[in-house]
Amino acid sequence: MSRRALIPVLVLGLLAGCSRGGEVFDQPGPGATGLDFTNQLQESDRLNILDYLYFYNGGGVAVGDVNQDGLPDIYFSGNQVGNKLYLNRGGMQFEDVTETAGVAGQSTWNTGAVMADVNADGLLDIYVCAVVGINGFTGHNELFINNGDGTFTERAAEFGLDLDTYSSNAAFLDYDGDGDLDMYLLNHAVHTQDSYGKASLRYERNYETGDRLMRNDGGRFTDVSEAAGIYGGINGYGLGLAVSDFNQDGYPDLYIGNDFHEDDYFYLNNGDGTFTESLRDYFGHTSRFSMGSDVADINNDGRPDMISLDMLPEDEVPLKSSEGDDNVQTQRMRTEEFGYYYQFTRNMLYVGQPDGRFSETALMSGVAATDWSWSALFGDWNLDGHQDLFVSNGIPKRPNDLDFVRYISNDQISSTMDNTRLVDQEALEMMPSGNVHNYVFEGREGLGFEDRSNQWMQPDTLLSGATAWADFDADGDLDLVVNNLNHPASLLVNKSEKKGNYLKLRLQFSPKNRFGVGSKVFAYTNAGMLYRELFPVRGFQASSEPMVHLGFSPGQQVDSIRVVWPDNTYQTLVAPDLNQDLVLTPDGPKPFDYNSIKTRSKSLFVRTQDNLGLQFTHREDRYTDFNREKLLPYSFADRGPAFAVGDLDGDGKQDVFFGGSKRIPSQGFIQQDTTFIPYPLPEITADSLPENTAALLADFDRDGQDDLLIGNGGSDFFGTSKPLLNQYFKYTGGQWMEEGLPESYSNTAVLAPYDFDGDGDLDLFVGNLSLTGQFGSAPDSYLLENQNGTFILSGALDGKGLGMVTDALWTDFDADGDGDLIVVGEWMAPVFFTNRDGRFEGTSNPAQTGLWQSVAAMDMDGDGDTDIALGNWGANSKFRASEERPLRLYLSDFDKDASPDPVIATAKGDGYYPLVGLDELGSQMVFLRRKFPKYRDFAGRTMEEIFGKEALEASRVSEVRELRSGYLRNNGGIFDFVPFSEALQVAPILELLPYDFDGDGTEELLAAGNYFGLKPYQGRLDGFPGALIKPDGHVLPANELGLELLHKSVRHLKIITFKNKPYLLAVFNNAPVEVYALTSK
Amino acid sequence: MKLKFGILLLSVLALASCGTPDQPIVITPEEYHASVDQVTDIMVHDIFSPPVASRVYVYPNIAAYEIMALHNPGYRSLQGQVSELGAIPEPKAGVPVNYRLAALVAHMDLSRQLIFSEEMMTRFRDSLYTAWSETNRKEFEASRDYGLEVAGFIAGWMDKDNYKQTRTMSKFTVDTEEPSRWQPTPPAYMEGIEPHWSKIRPFVIDSAAQFKPTPPPPFSMEEGSDFYNEVKEVYDVSLEITEKGDASEEVAIAQFWDCNPYVSVTRGHLMFATKKISPGAHWIGIAKIASRKSGADFDKTVYAYTKTSLAIADGFISCWDEKYRSNLIRPETLINQYIDENWKPVLQTPPFPEYTSGHSVVSGAAAVALTSIFGDNFAFDDDTELPYGLPVRSFNSFREAADEAAISRMYGGIHYRAAVEIGVSQGRSLGAFLVDHLQMTQETAMAEPQSE
Repeated sequence: MSRRALIPVLVLGLLAGCSRGGEVFDQPGPGATGLDFTNQLQESDRLNILDYLYFYNGGGVAVGDVNQDGLPDIYFSGNQVGNKLYLNRGGMQFEDVTETAGVAGQSTWNTGAVMADVNADGLLDIYVCAVVGINGFTGHNELFINNGDGTFTERAAEFGLDLDTYSSNAAFLDYDGDGDLDMYLLNHAVHTQDSYGKASLRYERNYETGDRLMRNDGGRFTDVSEAAGIYGGINGYGLGLAVSDFNQDGYPDLYIGNDFHEDDYFYLNNGDGTFTESLRDYFGHTSRFSMGSDVADINNDGRPDMISLDMLPEDEVPLKSSEGDDNVQTQRMRTEEFGYYYQFTRNMLYVGQPDGRFSETALMSGVAATDWSWSALFGDWNLDGHQDLFVSNGIPKRPNDLDFVRYISNDQISSTMDNTRLVDQEALEMMPSGNVHNYVFEGREGLGFEDRSNQWMQPDTLLSGATAWADFDADGDLDLVVNNLNHPASLLVNKSEKKGNYLKLRLQFSPKNRFGVGSKVFAYTNAGMLYRELFPVRGFQASSEPMVHLGFSPGQQVDSIRVVWPDNTYQTLVAPDLNQDLVLTPDGPKPFDYNSIKTRSKSLFVRTQDNLGLQFTHREDRYTDFNREKLLPYSFADRGPAFAVGDLDGDGKQDVFFGGSKRIPSQGFIQQDTTFIPYPLPEITADSLPENTAALLADFDRDGQDDLLIGNGGSDFFGTSKPLLNQYFKYTGGQWMEEGLPESYSNTAVLAPYDFDGDGDLDLFVGNLSLTGQFGSAPDSYLLENQNGTFILSGALDGKGLGMVTDALWTDFDADGDGDLIVVGEWMAPVFFTNRDGRFEGTSNPAQTGLWQSVAAMDMDGDGDTDIALGNWGANSKFRASEERPLRLYLSDFDKDASPDPVIATAKGDGYYPLVGLDELGSQMVFLRRKFPKYRDFAGRTMEEIFGKEALEASRVSEVRELRSGYLRNNGGIFDFVPFSEALQVAPILELLPYDFDGDGTEELLAAGNYFGLKPYQGRLDGFPGALIKPDGHVLPANELGLELLHKSVRHLKIITFKNKPYLLAVFNNAPVEVYALTSK
Repeated sequence: MKLKFGILLLSVLALASCGTPDQPIVITPEEYHASVDQVTDIMVHDIFSPPVASRVYVYPNIAAYEIMALHNPGYRSLQGQVSELGAIPEPKAGVPVNYRLAALVAHMDLSRQLIFSEEMMTRFRDSLYTAWSETNRKEFEASRDYGLEVAGFIAGWMDKDNYKQTRTMSKFTVDTEEPSRWQPTPPAYMEGIEPHWSKIRPFVIDSAAQFKPTPPPPFSMEEGSDFYNEVKEVYDVSLEITEKGDASEEVAIAQFWDCNPYVSVTRGHLMFATKKISPGAHWIGIAKIASRKSGADFDKTVYAYTKTSLAIADGFISCWDEKYRSNLIRPETLINQYIDENWKPVLQTPPFPEYTSGHSVVSGAAAVALTSIFGDNFAFDDDTELPYGLPVRSFNSFREAADEAAISRMYGGIHYRAAVEIGVSQGRSLGAFLVDHLQMTQETAMAEPQSE
């Protein structure tokens, strides 16, 4: 043996000897397992990331028992190396049988690999995707039909599946319910010379890049894409492919994740051989650079949930040195001009809702940022009855590194702008590597995931892609196999088998669908229901073992298991023994009624046909305050509409007033016998310039007729501009006459009336939110005393610098018989103003600083006293806050240009980091560009390192210690904060309405919200469907009760009386109002 | 270049080690050219937009000029001639200041304060410092200290030009509902840059609006309207010249004068920019060529750079004032909307409103300034763009070069004819005013250096 040959042997020996592991997964090396497949990539001048954008996407992996020995075997596809098949010889020993089997393949560049019984002979075949027709890649997708004797024959052409396009992956499913398996082929575009064309490109089919739906017509597959409603445009960058009966109607649906600007596609199966793409109706927003995905019921509510991966780094260094989200205006152009949907750069976790829509919770659930991620797989790794999550990731070169993007020099770019060789090797070297460890998360009760990457496995720095799960060692827990770049594939051997229990179900459905693809399983246990669907293609470019795996915690008993077969018949298995492989075949199945699994809460609300005539659509003006105040974390230009209920025409019936936005007039509606009709208010609408932010109808001058108070604001007007002044219109003699008010130029948030001096007329608290251009400062609020219908400033309450007030509530919280005042707001704690003989003393608890949005009084715990419910920002944004590590807002003139700069910082690890990056900070504070000429100099720096200790100490610092909504529990006048449950933390709660909605004699609290006035970096906080909170603490999602508030921003909820019946009026920002009848009344 | 410095350094070291007594330090125009070139290179690296780049050139030149003019009676101080500039401090009596050295130090130091990648400037500076201090430590230190003092003085004046304040002003608001209003253009859809540049304190002109051009033809996409015809002309010309191919004269002209500091290229996740110098930098390059060709000494070289950079800086203020007054939409947007969805201009559309053409204005202004220094019919070979892979072009006069620079924008498909023609005349009027207004040379004495 020559010395040269010795070295690799030694290295191999080392690898073999080293088995690495964590608490859940051991990672034996290839020497120990025989899995020596390496997807070795050879970059060349002719072929690299610059020539082919998906050069680093990796190969595929498919798992299944191809030799019918009961053990799952593994097939890897390679990009430039041949594909390999390994037979599982038991005891985690694998044998490379590629050559005998004849499955190495002929294509130049292979991608996804999946297993399915394509020819319906009961044996798993292998389908391998290929990219063909660019970069000199030849070949076609290959179908290796299993001959049952250890050999395979490539017969793609015979089946009509020898497609020669830019394929990523394929899924076999029976979409038309005819019993055989059809195929969806995922293709990807490469055309990116223009960063985007219009969304309508998707309607024009393109041979190479358009996805295909191939119908199985007796063993020959026919392209039915167009007739079936499948898009096939030049802009479909298909990387994610998820199959599930999302809407649980018995027909499998599809979610296609598209990279870049193209929207993801949500294809709902119409059950007649066609699909309807329905993304916008069901999703509020999606991941932007969508990659792999997986569907599973993560919260054990019986509905499919989904994760779609993106590339947001968790670590500060890549986070701040990589290109991030669009700016506000670019996004607006992309959505409004080019026709794309809301997409944001982070992983998205979509939680299935009772109405079939999805609420996105990745930030709250802790799975939003896993860096450059490829495959997501849910599975109960630790056998505790909750789905866990594995995410593979890594990219050899980060092409979106900002230093590379901005500072690569011309010498490194050849001057020709054609499609070849734009950048030389030196340029490639400039991109930092993105070898980030894979992530594993522990699933918890509800929606939360805990990062266990450092405990459950040995984190590595491999470049991991396609991943599949299977029980390779037949011990009952799920193992993982990962196809890596330039490194042998990883096997993660699960050693949880002793920790919990399991069931494995092999669903032998029919000769045409032997592996039961499309089956569903409900497991009813003493600790709730588990739900699974059998679709082996999941993750990224891979298929997992075709079985259903269920994990149970040690005490968990299974009462019964219901299997719903692909033909929508079902059978029940009563109290099966745990820890076994169950092979099931249809046995007297009965038709399954999908309605039986739909949530059956009594609907409390029914949308009225005609809104009772209240045909009002609030329109927000187009002013964007982020353009003027570039460091604002959220907007102050969209807090409307103002809204008031009262008597506009003096007939004693309830009428409605909706305030206008800047230059968009307000609108009145009066109640007539059969309907509401628009009611002109010429004296009021004559001046449409102000942005109305609060309104109040009440009889202030005690002439028996309601007068109108309008609070104004918005954040376009500033200084002492007149449209900022609040307005007071007295209704006298059938006319509205404007009266003066004490001057105040703040952005008004709330007008709260109360007769605090007991003189029989209504006085007024005016709560102010902000001063335009001075975000971070605390404006003054006022108490106004009513003197015979005229308001004068009262000294009874000191509202100087009270804070960024959003809401106020008069209530007798000290139960001494007079009205006290509670004021809530952003970057402040609720202030309790105790009424002491007409003078007010304010106190607050500094631990309760929040971004409070709403306040209401109700007995939340049924103990007979009044508690204080509080709407807050919620836990589902990039803001993070806790008692120990509050969210911070530093306000200081850092660059000494006489205009203070607000900088928001969150804690990460030991330090505080600015929420925004160098571009945004540097656009305001030029000295930072000089201090940090490179992004890598800035990335990973703490606030202190960026601005200096001294400057930070000289700042005005505001804090937020609590972001969750909840209530202040009244303990004999002492108020402790009790957070609401997780379901109420998915978005800001902007409105709280106590009322006896269900007519049981006690009040419930209806909470609603969502907010969109944020930069793309935060995205849209649109995931809250509203909820009814019962006095016993029980929470019912409002979309189970008939309300459609999800993905809309609710600003007001009000009970109005029409024909002596109560109705719920819901008022939204920038959307039409909705009126609901109450079924209990 | 590097090699030359190496040799210089070596010979200086050799001299020093021989123990020769201190020699007077001689500063040549080449060292000033090198300093300006260094600023240009750093700006290409750091990516400065054209208006900001014009500011980076002008203040260091003024600092150098003021030192030089204090010393050379052939030149007159700009004090009282440009807005709010006071008299620079004079060196203390008896201190052996080498004025040219001090001028160069002031240029380098002010430049250092204006660019981002400071280290690239200090590296350049330090190699010169080492050499000078080896030659004559006393003279070097005295001159350096004085140069820095003047740089500090000019920086104080510079800081009051409203630049910082304009950083905090609002971004350009995109409103695509207004059909004539500029909107971001492909492929990067960058935000409108420097919407408040007209609020920068001008130098010689009395206000940003002093050379306010006539408005562009009224917006109308009705066939036959003046405006429509201009849009159509851009489209037709573009088709005609692209048909002729990349080798055509028009395409060559468009590319030669592209001067776009940041042409963004996106390929999948891969993004980068091809970078070039700005329009102002190109004319600074021409000032260098003319200085060299005419054998200008150090003082005249500084004078030429200063006057040219003043014309460019005021040109940008004037042009940007109009750009964000008319907020006119670019041909690319309109042609894609109305005529040809797939049309792309020969050059990448830069990220700001169309009217008037910035390159036309500053070329017009700079050419007048250069003519006033080097005379009309000054023929030159323009090799400014060689480092960016573009050929040499030859011109018979500065005026001819300016005319070509202007029309290049229409060939490039990024401007309508009006922006080009009215733009270049806007620049010429501004340049003429500037030349008329500025008394930089003494009429009586010839601008010749005094002997030490």
